[in-house]
Amino acid sequence: MTVLLEAKNLSKHYRLSHGETLRAVSDVSLVVHRGEALALVGESGCGKSTLGRTLIGLGAPSSGEVFFEGERISGLSDRALRRWRPRMQMVFQDSSSTFNPRRTIGETLAEPMRIHGRTGIADRIAALLEQVGLSSSVLSRYPHEFSGGQRQRLNIARALMLGPDLLVADEPTSALDVSVQAQIVNLLRDLRNSLDVACVFISHDLAVVRQMADRIAVMYLGRIVEEGDVLAVLEAPAHPYTRALLDAVPRPDRPLPPPLKGDVPSPVHPPQGCAFHTRCPLAQPRCAQERPELRQVAEGRRVACHYPLL
Amino acid sequence: MGADALLKLHHLHLELPKGTALLEDVSLTVRRGDALGVVGESGSGKSLTAMSVMGLLPGLKASGSIRFEGRELLGMKDREWRRLRGAGMAMIFQDPMTAFLPVRSIGAQIDEQIRLHEPVSRREARARTVRLLGRMGVPDPEAAANRYPHQLSGGLRQRAMIAMALSCDPALLIADEPTTALDVTVQAQILTLLCEIRDSGAGVMLITHDMGVVAQTCTHVAVVYSGLVVEQGPVAAVMARPLHPYTQALLEAIPPLDGPRPDALPTIPGRPSAPEARPEGCVFAPRCRFVRPDCGVRPALREPEEGRRVACVLYDA
Repeated sequence: MTVLLEAKNLSKHYRLSHGETLRAVSDVSLVVHRGEALALVGESGCGKSTLGRTLIGLGAPSSGEVFFEGERISGLSDRALRRWRPRMQMVFQDSSSTFNPRRTIGETLAEPMRIHGRTGIADRIAALLEQVGLSSSVLSRYPHEFSGGQRQRLNIARALMLGPDLLVADEPTSALDVSVQAQIVNLLRDLRNSLDVACVFISHDLAVVRQMADRIAVMYLGRIVEEGDVLAVLEAPAHPYTRALLDAVPRPDRPLPPPLKGDVPSPVHPPQGCAFHTRCPLAQPRCAQERPELRQVAEGRRVACHYPLL
Repeated sequence: MGADALLKLHHLHLELPKGTALLEDVSLTVRRGDALGVVGESGSGKSLTAMSVMGLLPGLKASGSIRFEGRELLGMKDREWRRLRGAGMAMIFQDPMTAFLPVRSIGAQIDEQIRLHEPVSRREARARTVRLLGRMGVPDPEAAANRYPHQLSGGLRQRAMIAMALSCDPALLIADEPTTALDVTVQAQILTLLCEIRDSGAGVMLITHDMGVVAQTCTHVAVVYSGLVVEQGPVAAVMARPLHPYTQALLEAIPPLDGPRPDALPTIPGRPSAPEARPEGCVFAPRCRFVRPDCGVRPALREPEEGRRVACVLYDA
């Protein structure tokens, strides 16, 4: 597989007003291969959304580099980045706030192609609407006239207008009902197969991630703690945090194991050593002292833990 | 169901002033020590059901019956209802950020609720607040009581909300999507807490869209679709073998966490009809894979098996 996007030691820190620093993303290295779906998973505040945005140049990283097809795109000016923008597009969670309520769907869908000076807009719109399962009668209507599921289809169609190689989808199904969620999950899977577009898929829902992704990267407090093939990781997690996340999913077929104690610590004051040691059921004295590096434990499997479960 | 029913809705019907029916013929029972999960998708009427029990829908026309500890609630005066809310039954909401007043400490708000219902001194009320927060697993409850809502994490805020709901020892706790805004590890903590409350003898009514949450927390489940109860029964039985086609489809649409990964998830085509355009017959018929001519008549809720009820022609004898 060829590498499409690569992040090297990427960090994104925000300086807060009272002189403190919020470390949203710290020292993340990852690759996205052409046509593959990588899921970024974690709880709120783990940095998954920030990472997703930084990857495609929505906000410059504090340090580290991003390469797209081998060329460095981090640190470029907005003008220089413009050349790359059509190649990577974003799908946001809340489809109701990402559409201009006063514009028709037709105007909104045409906008990306107009901005980038493309021609053949009408044909492209017609083709994409068909692919996302909507009829061309939607073009003269306004965003509020659609249900959440339909709007999410339009959102996806808009992101695909420029024929991107990479789609970053931030919680694309979280605001939807279960039955609609299944439709969108299926749609994204079909589109990925038919268009061969790579996808970075940000989610907190492990069941949805398992259905959609090839690989998974689990994040905790701004760092990747485990990474690997999605089926392998969810079958036998190597990091205690991945295990805890998986155990916490309420399922009809088994009672809940004792939940993880406490809350996620603040990314302004992350714990010393392993960031997870304050909640880890398996923590040892060493975990409070020394931060475990992300290291390979098996083919295609990386874990940041002194005492992995694998 | 038994005579020990804590809450009994009987043919509850709720409509807008202009006559559009929102809930039709909803009958449910919550017993002490039981937790009833009310499951449905957005717009199914699950929250309306909860709100009508709390008497929070003054603008809507309700008929039928809501009996709480044997007493009819429909038609009750505002004053009587106020006395009942908090003391007899209490409700927690999805977003504790908007349920708390932002400008007062959470302790002050819980104290106030206690003192509104019982003649105790400020000091006694605060002592009880601190005890409650501690019981809900809030670390350092004394300090936490002095904090403002925005100073607490989502999980702690929800614990404080539950502490407030339980402050006057209500017999019935209604929880409307209490964990939807929370992360899974925190959700697991709150669900464990709800199970403890249930086991301590209170009745719990849990409104949710998540079948997994129901399975973890509830003893019974009622599936609502388009303002009607389409299936109800003990959780284990319904999960193992759902009877109504809607319940079946809802469970199938959840992606599996183990076993083989399907190429495509089963989906339910279309979407629920709006209340003013509800079909005359079975409300699920337009989306149902088993639809047949006699679905044009609204099926009654039948009891094909002991303790299980379903409204579908497939189970007409």
